[in-house]
Amino acid sequence: MNNTPRVLNRILIGFLGLGLLAIGILLMLLATVPAVGTWWHEWAGGLLNSWLELFARTQFPGRQESWLWLAICLVLAAMIGAMVAWVAQQGKGRTSLIAAEEDPGGVPGTVGIGGGVAEQALRAALADRPDLAGVTVATYKIRGETALKIRVDPRQGVAPHTLAAEVSSLVEALDAVIGKRTPVLIHLGSGARSRFGRAERVR
Amino acid sequence: MSQDTEHASTGHGPYDAGAVTESAPPGSGAAGMERILKREMHSSRVVVSVIAAALVALVCGYALLETAVRAIGQPPWLVDPLTAAQRVVALPAGVRPLLLTAAGAVVAMAGLFFFLNAVLPGRRARHQLPDRRAAVVVDDEVIAAALARRARLAANVTKEQVMVIVARNRVVVNVRPTSGVPLRSDAVLDAVRREVRDMGLSPMPDVQIRVSTAGVVGA
Repeated sequence: MNNTPRVLNRILIGFLGLGLLAIGILLMLLATVPAVGTWWHEWAGGLLNSWLELFARTQFPGRQESWLWLAICLVLAAMIGAMVAWVAQQGKGRTSLIAAEEDPGGVPGTVGIGGGVAEQALRAALADRPDLAGVTVATYKIRGETALKIRVDPRQGVAPHTLAAEVSSLVEALDAVIGKRTPVLIHLGSGARSRFGRAERVR
Repeated sequence: MSQDTEHASTGHGPYDAGAVTESAPPGSGAAGMERILKREMHSSRVVVSVIAAALVALVCGYALLETAVRAIGQPPWLVDPLTAAQRVVALPAGVRPLLLTAAGAVVAMAGLFFFLNAVLPGRRARHQLPDRRAAVVVDDEVIAAALARRARLAANVTKEQVMVIVARNRVVVNVRPTSGVPLRSDAVLDAVRREVRDMGLSPMPDVQIRVSTAGVVGA
């Protein structure tokens, strides 16, 4: 529920996959079909020659080297930068404030409620339960709207619908405290602690 | 805030109930919630994306090194870019065909992996639960554990004798009965079905039961 650019991910992965697939198939054909070899010599040889010509034309005045090498360096560096930027886009969207509004009262200023309020309140409410292995609460900003993600790790065998209803009623109590209805996602997951921990027997 | 307290003090029974039900359906976040739920049910392809980015960055980094070395007129580290290009053009020659085929197969498999990751829907093993306040998603493992518990209680067997597999549209309950103790599979199936209906999963799976013919001795 974060702002990971999913469409971009799929497009870029798809292009990379198609490229690698084409290269792999070409390599296999080159090794097995001789006719592909002659075509490849012609086509790639022509391409290489045009590049060599380009290198010859772009020499520094009075020197042997071509400035095209520097241009290629820049392009590669930009490519690496783009990859770093792409990775940095993943999982973005965490925010610290769950609600922030201008105070209509006499004192000028805004009132902000931190996501920690929701986290501490829910954690405290669910702390003593023996049927839970862990609770994490995170605040996200999605398209300008804050949303709360509550991840609950129940122990093995806990009925998810009753647990969801109980967490949901806690969320409603939280709404009353904060005074604002934020979208809430409850995720009942199974982490390592619930998988390998003891099963819940009482209840 | 002051308005709220006024309502509470002046309004009685029906008026209050009306105010409560008015606030019950999800308000501003309903459309956004749909999108969040849809995203939560599908993989975001973060891991594959990071692998792909690292791969491209690594290749670009090495190419950058060799190109930079060439640009400043130094001897190459491993191979000069032009020499590499000439070798690639001359390709079937210079490399053993078996090696070339194997390398091609590996590259093609990697390409297929990335391509399928881009194209396939990537549904996560999760189901949605209905709730009036929040959007709820449950990992299938949690559902399976709850159903296994229910089936175990209904069949009166130990934990190890029940295994539940939850797929998107299907729940399969595998029970190994205790040797010598008859097992009423209808009752177990009924109990599990009722539990699934109580959960109100979406998509709603179909429940099947498989009782193994070999029993467990001394359970």
